[in-house]
Amino acid sequence: MSRFAALLDDFFYRPDEDVAGLHDFAAGSDGTQSSVPEEVPEEYLAFRLEGECYAVPIRVVREISKVPPLTEIPRAEPHLLGVMNLRGELLPAYDIKVRLRLAERAPVVAGPEAPSPPRDARILVLRTESGPAGVWVDGVTGVVKLKPSMLEAAPPGLRSGDRDCVVGIGRRGSTLYILLDAEQALAS
Amino acid sequence: MNPGSKALAEFVAEATEILDALGKDLLVLDERRGQEADPELVNGIFRAAHSLKGLSGLFGQERISRLAHGTEDLLDRLRLGRLHLDDTALDALIEALDAFQALLAEAARGSESEPLTRRVEDMTARLAGLGSPPVSVDEDPLDRLELDPQVRSVFTEYEEHRLRENVRRGVSLWRVRAAFDLSDFDKGLADLNARLKPLGEVISTLPSARPGGTHGIAFDLIFGAQATGEALEAGLKGTPAELSPLVVRPAATHAAAQALARAVEPPASTRATLSRVDAPAAPVKRGGKKKGARAGTTTKGAQKSLLPSTDAEGADSSGPGDALTPSGAPRGPGDALVPVTPSGLQSPAGSPGASVAYLQGAGGTQRVRAVVMETPSTGTASPARPEGDTSLRSLTQTVRVDIGRLDGLINMVGELLLIKANLQRLAESARQDGAVALSKLFGQELARETRGLERKLEALQEGLLEARMVPVGQVFDKLARLVRRITREAGKEIEFVIGGGEVELDKLIVEELSDPLMHLIRNAIDHGVESPEARLAAGKPRRAVVALRAEQKGNHVVIEVSDDGAGIDEMRVREVALTRGLITFSQAQEMGRRELLNLIFLPGFSTARSVSELSGRGVGLDVVKNNLGNLSGIIDVWSERGKGTAFHLTLPVTLAIIRALVVGVSGRTYAVPLNSVLEILSVQPKDIRTVERREVLDLRGQTLPFMRLARMFALPERPVNRYFVVVVGLAQERLGIAVDELHGQQDIVTKPLGGRLQSVRGISGATDLGNRRTVLVLDVAALLEEGLAVERRRA
Repeated sequence: MSRFAALLDDFFYRPDEDVAGLHDFAAGSDGTQSSVPEEVPEEYLAFRLEGECYAVPIRVVREISKVPPLTEIPRAEPHLLGVMNLRGELLPAYDIKVRLRLAERAPVVAGPEAPSPPRDARILVLRTESGPAGVWVDGVTGVVKLKPSMLEAAPPGLRSGDRDCVVGIGRRGSTLYILLDAEQALAS
Repeated sequence: MNPGSKALAEFVAEATEILDALGKDLLVLDERRGQEADPELVNGIFRAAHSLKGLSGLFGQERISRLAHGTEDLLDRLRLGRLHLDDTALDALIEALDAFQALLAEAARGSESEPLTRRVEDMTARLAGLGSPPVSVDEDPLDRLELDPQVRSVFTEYEEHRLRENVRRGVSLWRVRAAFDLSDFDKGLADLNARLKPLGEVISTLPSARPGGTHGIAFDLIFGAQATGEALEAGLKGTPAELSPLVVRPAATHAAAQALARAVEPPASTRATLSRVDAPAAPVKRGGKKKGARAGTTTKGAQKSLLPSTDAEGADSSGPGDALTPSGAPRGPGDALVPVTPSGLQSPAGSPGASVAYLQGAGGTQRVRAVVMETPSTGTASPARPEGDTSLRSLTQTVRVDIGRLDGLINMVGELLLIKANLQRLAESARQDGAVALSKLFGQELARETRGLERKLEALQEGLLEARMVPVGQVFDKLARLVRRITREAGKEIEFVIGGGEVELDKLIVEELSDPLMHLIRNAIDHGVESPEARLAAGKPRRAVVALRAEQKGNHVVIEVSDDGAGIDEMRVREVALTRGLITFSQAQEMGRRELLNLIFLPGFSTARSVSELSGRGVGLDVVKNNLGNLSGIIDVWSERGKGTAFHLTLPVTLAIIRALVVGVSGRTYAVPLNSVLEILSVQPKDIRTVERREVLDLRGQTLPFMRLARMFALPERPVNRYFVVVVGLAQERLGIAVDELHGQQDIVTKPLGGRLQSVRGISGATDLGNRRTVLVLDVAALLEEGLAVERRRA
């Protein structure tokens, strides 16, 4: 890294800052090519859970579905909300709020006693190693592009449960995205 | 699924198909052991091995490719007549087929195990040194055929060999000349070939030297006819074919002619020895299983070590201008001697060290030298085969569907699209015209379209179910191969009869059936059928009959596995069940013959006095029964002392659609497969009794274990003034399941719950009842077990 760029890095660089122009300027000024690698932003799907903003890499999301009628599975693990029929395909739908310590117990959303789901609620159909699985979210925010430099490791206080389903924090502008490992979040 | 695994799946599917075809052809060869091998068959197997080699090479499956190369090489020598197809070669080919299957299984799993790799290497090496030298005749019979050398030069090596073979055997050869119109010559040629095939062998198809006219093309077919000239003429009536015989000159000298005659018909002495070998290995093995098997191994070892030497001999005598024996002493008998040598030399093999034996060739001028190495009796001549646990289940999920069926489905989709367009038009007009359109006419039109839609959907469903159907013969063929092996190993003589292979079943069921059937057949051969001596003593033919038959009965298919062996000794069954503590003495006292026979399905039951390699590990029939239970099938046994045993397997044609009883509990809806429902009772809460704090019902004087579904599933119970009790049963077990409501019967399409939900108890799948809500299907077997386990724990 050129000296000038290193200097800039020390003083001005912030992860969420778009500094491409500065790099160009730095490269031009001392006549050497900047060795800062081109950052490839990755796309994440951001969603809300109990008011918090979470995100998963978009490649693990197969589709987003409105909440269909769910059928509860008797005697299943508590975080299994039920099964749903998505265009003829049978999919399990899971709750991850309990795992993330956002709720004490999974909401009753399946069966005859369940109220109709909130308007914004969605089921994210995620690709997992053991087949597709649905995850209940309170609302989908949208797609965000995060560069590796915008990511931080999860602060120790955020770690929840015995397994780490929070892999890091993404910072874009003033918004913080809690990045989830879908596989871990769904593990029973 | 990533592209790599997709390619792999394709490879496995295609390779399985090739192996199936290969196995079928090998089986035919195996059945006709001792007869002259059908060249068409050998050529077919050669081509299969060749395509397997190409395919596995393409997909980077090196081990399969190597073995296929070795097999192809051997087959190439066989089909060109450089080797004679003897028992050793055939056994090696069958063994190679087993190895291919094992390799493919590993490839499908994406693993490579060291022992298998070694086995493949050993086998490849062995294949390279296999086979007996060919019948070589000093004078090329082709020279006696009056054929234009120009024509002769265009023959492939294989064609030339076939022609030579036909001349040598004195088959009448014909030139069939036919001219066809250019526009449809392929059809005409195919037709001609089809007509010729039953009459003999089409050796070569060549473009004719005679011009076929401006719009035509002419072919010369070199044809070796089994039939007479008149029959040939009659068979070709209506085709543009002209027959002309190819003249074969008589052999050059009298001696050679004699030699030829002898080559075709081996001298009596040789024939006698020959027949001794051709008889199945059983006479050797009959003396006792262990000893016989060892003797067989020794023989095999002897023959193996013998081969390189004979091979070498064959190689140097088949050199060009091989006038080694001017008198024309044919090497035909010499060839016949080679397979004989090992058994002929069995006594010398007993002496220590290597012994050299000389056998006189028929002509007296040639000696076939055989070196027999004594193999130590503990030696394992053939590598231990991973026995017993190999499943016959195919490795691929692919179903081959007749294109006609698919076309039918596509047509149906087309018609559905038409109906959709009509419905769309109706919806559109209803929206635009508002109340006006909602007339009586509109309603009628709508009803008509919906009826059409319903009919088409039904047809579509039926068509799709049909596409899943495969003939049970697929499994039967694989089993037939296995039977030959088991029979040889068990030292019994068995005729295996297959019937009803064309009966169709759901692919899934056929796959799951292979293992239970394998168990039953092994049992039949191992325990059911007596040894040949015992059979003779009992006044039965020495050869036992084991039959496998399928038959369609309404919506079910019945598969029968039967033998004409000793039958099941029900008193021994009783004795064993008592000593193993499976039943109590008082229970035994009350049991009839049928009930006693049914004890053999209990876990841990086996009447075999010794545990053999094939079966009798005490697992078997209970596993068979469980497997069938999973398929909603029933197994039934019939047996008569001294007459035989028969197992009847009753299976539904498909699992995809079943009839179900729809029930309601605490506002939830569940489906119960109707085939396990025995009856339905209406019960007042006061009728429920408790015996030792568990609830039971009194059903016509008998106590029926009773379970509330709501309680078992931990659902909020609702007070009701009466329960409906669905009495379910599997085998002898009964259980009453209390539900709140009955919603009626319906045909349902069950879907498995899938990978993530496999551990859910009491639910076998889910279905859609048409209102977008998913309804769970109860797993009756699991509920029964659970309900009764609760009872047992308390008892």
